[in-house]
Amino acid sequence: MVFLPSMKKAAAPELESQVTHRTQRRSAAAGSCLNMADQNKRDTDLNFYSEILSPSELFAARSRSHKIPVRGQKDFFPDDSDEQRQRLEQSLNEHWSLISEERVEKLGNLVKATWVPSEKIVELQSPAGKFWQTMGFSANGKQVLFPEEALYLMECGNVQVFYEELPMSIQDGYEKFLSSSAVSLQQYQVFGHLKRLGYVVHRFDPSSESSSYARQLNLPQSCDGAGKHLKRKRSTSPTSTSSRTEVQEESTADRTEEDKCVREDEEDKTPPESHLTLSPETSGPQTARSNEGRGRTWWMTDVLGGRSDQRPASGASRWDFSSIAFPDLGSSRERLSSCLASPEPSLLPGSLAVGVCDVDLWRRRINLREVKMSSKEQEREEDQRRRRSDVNKDREVRRCRNWTEYRELLKRRQRRHKERAEHLWSREVTPLHDPRQPIPTGELLDKISVIKSTHLLEGASRLQDSEEWSICFNVYQPDTVADFKKSDPGKPYSRMCVCSFDGPVPDLRSIKLLTFQSGDVPVVFAVVDHGDISFYTFKDFQLPTDVYP
Amino acid sequence: MATESVETTSEDVPVPGKASTRFDLEKETELRFEVEAGEAAEQVELELLTGMAEVFGSELNRNKKYTFGPGSKIAVFTWQGCSVNLYGKPEVAYVSKDTPMLLYLNTHAALEQMRKQAERDNERGPRVMVVGPTDVGKSTVCRLLLSYAVRVGRRPTLVELDVGQSGVSVPGTVSALCIERPADVEEGFSVQAPLVYHFGSTTPGTNIKLYNKLTSCLADVFSRRCEVNRKASVGGCIINTCGWVKGSGYQALVHCASAFEVDVVLVLDHERLYNELKRDLPHFVRVVLLPKSGGVVERSKECRRDTRDEKIREYFYGFRGVTFYPFSYEVRFSDVRIYKIGAPSIPDSCLPLGMSQDDTQLKLVPVTPGRDLTYHVLSVSSAEDGEEGARKGIVESPVCGFIVVTNVDTQTQVMKVLSPAPRPLPRHTLLIMDIRFMDMK
Repeated sequence: MVFLPSMKKAAAPELESQVTHRTQRRSAAAGSCLNMADQNKRDTDLNFYSEILSPSELFAARSRSHKIPVRGQKDFFPDDSDEQRQRLEQSLNEHWSLISEERVEKLGNLVKATWVPSEKIVELQSPAGKFWQTMGFSANGKQVLFPEEALYLMECGNVQVFYEELPMSIQDGYEKFLSSSAVSLQQYQVFGHLKRLGYVVHRFDPSSESSSYARQLNLPQSCDGAGKHLKRKRSTSPTSTSSRTEVQEESTADRTEEDKCVREDEEDKTPPESHLTLSPETSGPQTARSNEGRGRTWWMTDVLGGRSDQRPASGASRWDFSSIAFPDLGSSRERLSSCLASPEPSLLPGSLAVGVCDVDLWRRRINLREVKMSSKEQEREEDQRRRRSDVNKDREVRRCRNWTEYRELLKRRQRRHKERAEHLWSREVTPLHDPRQPIPTGELLDKISVIKSTHLLEGASRLQDSEEWSICFNVYQPDTVADFKKSDPGKPYSRMCVCSFDGPVPDLRSIKLLTFQSGDVPVVFAVVDHGDISFYTFKDFQLPTDVYP
Repeated sequence: MATESVETTSEDVPVPGKASTRFDLEKETELRFEVEAGEAAEQVELELLTGMAEVFGSELNRNKKYTFGPGSKIAVFTWQGCSVNLYGKPEVAYVSKDTPMLLYLNTHAALEQMRKQAERDNERGPRVMVVGPTDVGKSTVCRLLLSYAVRVGRRPTLVELDVGQSGVSVPGTVSALCIERPADVEEGFSVQAPLVYHFGSTTPGTNIKLYNKLTSCLADVFSRRCEVNRKASVGGCIINTCGWVKGSGYQALVHCASAFEVDVVLVLDHERLYNELKRDLPHFVRVVLLPKSGGVVERSKECRRDTRDEKIREYFYGFRGVTFYPFSYEVRFSDVRIYKIGAPSIPDSCLPLGMSQDDTQLKLVPVTPGRDLTYHVLSVSSAEDGEEGARKGIVESPVCGFIVVTNVDTQTQVMKVLSPAPRPLPRHTLLIMDIRFMDMK
């Protein structure tokens, strides 16, 4: 799995009304400047909403420029230049003027609503407009909006919310509706952003999702409490994850059961593991013993060495050639006297008695024949002479007393030479594959793939819910708006999980959890950075594999 | 000390039709004579009249005539002094007092000392490797040392690794022979139950891997024999090598020394080889430099080929072609499987990954019988006539005999062979040699 940033770039559908346009301007400044802007007009609030405009004013309001000021390049640090300061000032002024813009709506277009703080909902007083197709719900015979929906509609100029019989400004809405216990500013920003892009955004209700068990059985979602979904019910606020429906609780109960089982399984498994962990201790003495054994063998060789030390010159061979006199003409004159004493007659056939032998005479006659060598051979010979040194200069060779020992030495050395990385095999952790054993490429690749590929959902059912992360919204695609039914919204296009740019990055556990909760609908992380929203999602993918025969 | 005292007394012993020459030898001198080579050449007879003399370590009987055929090069040595008669016309005949025989005898004495020690300590006797370039008398030194050893009651083993001029079997083989009596003055060592391995060529260079492999095989068999036969173990062995002492040939010598675990290496007349071996063999191996005898003559290529031919003839017809009567019969192609050891070498780049060339050099390649098989010498492998599974052991199996293809009839799928024994063939696995033999005489 890899963290894949995927920006959702759904084209905003063409929005026709002038009012919406204006709201868009507002939203561009939302968060940062809005509150301040509204502050200026606070004292005029009372008469502001009941003001009736003269035709000229109305005309002016209508013919206002609909352009949103371009933000331009970001300045990263102040360079103390006039140019920069002017630019900043200008863009700031543009924002102020944009926000302080008076909002002109037809009274007939405004739906009246009341803010009910105890329930954190907005009750509609007059019949809802077009927005009712995708927003709001009915409760106790009343049409109700969620605070984020109400705020969004306020910004769009579709709803006028009253609180204690007084109209609320947009700033009031931001202050009253948004709270960390209900809908946070960031969540609203994501909500608004998606709404403006045309998506249908609903709160995510964990209870409406089929349980893992139902999912395992592959039950069709409609079967799962058809009545429950007939009417869109008031769902919990996106942030409150503490309240759960029974189903959820059941499923978690199941889950804890499962967990228990798993834990038991693990416990079942742990005894051998503990055995394993114990075994080094129990085998400790053994290894120590074997070490001892090894030590003993070393000690034995030491004894051998000691023995050879007793005969310091070299490991004495079986034959004592100092007493067995070979007439070696190659040896120096000191070692071979010029006159060879006659050999002991008992050694000779037929008890021959022979005289002494003049060696010097033969010394002169040795190697009379020229050795003919081609230039190539000579070259090779020369090369060999340079590279090769007397084997007997080696102390280890000198210690060998016979061919068996010598050959063992050679074998040992050859092995050492061959297995240059022998130390790799002597430890507890050994290489995955011995390169001297050829196996097909495919098998080799299987053998060396230590990190097995995994799926996001693997083991997710066993994880316990965390409070930290939760899905906020179900998002439906804009093209479904025409025949969208709140009572049967169908499968969401994706689910939104809102988080702050300043906050932590979700860990694998949360991702797994959320993915599991979401089922087969992708979870998108909306990361809010002071009003800028980026979308990220995790996707399962397959690493490329070699094509082998 | 010894003055030339050659008397030509042709009238002393009148032999009809043959000139007789008498030589009186002082002690530690030798009479060298060569018999003319060629078809028409006359044989030369040798007779010991007084004293004692030996030919390459084998003592001469007094008043017995020894006959030497064409091409023979003989040295009669006397430790005490003797007089001999030569009948016939030798190409050359002279007496020399410059012989390294004393050095060779000293070598023998040293070896005998080792055997005594081995006998006492219940160990194995000396294993001696005789090395040197071509034409320095390696085979002769081997024969000498073996004869001396036998004469003092040892049972040494001759290991013949000279594939070109094998003293034991036909050329193109390596062999081992247990020596139980001194070499016959005329015939050399009596060849009884030798252990022969097929090599297939007259120079080890054609397949050095196979050569080394066979050397190891022989060493292994010899060691096993030493384990069960105390006398053979004490007697040790004398290894005759071929005259190739450079490059791979030298490596083969070092390998042989290692395989047989030799104790003594006798280097004949090659100081450089001596120094190299001293350098490359571990210190417990005694490397001894010995001179070659002045009597050694260089043999020409033709001469070597003739000797090889003679050796094969001897295998089929016996010494001088009179003792044995070979059989000639037809063998159906379908009855035999003919192999050649060693596939032609392939460049490494063409080989499968991880396969090395030595695999091909020891590989058995089936030979389709054809007209080109004519005159080739074939070894009859003693490997069991099994199916594919038995093929593995063929290379390492000794040879039980040789046949020569005299005629191939591709029409009837039959070849005519010359065989030392009547039909049928004891085994049906045949190994082809590069060597050809034409039964001309």
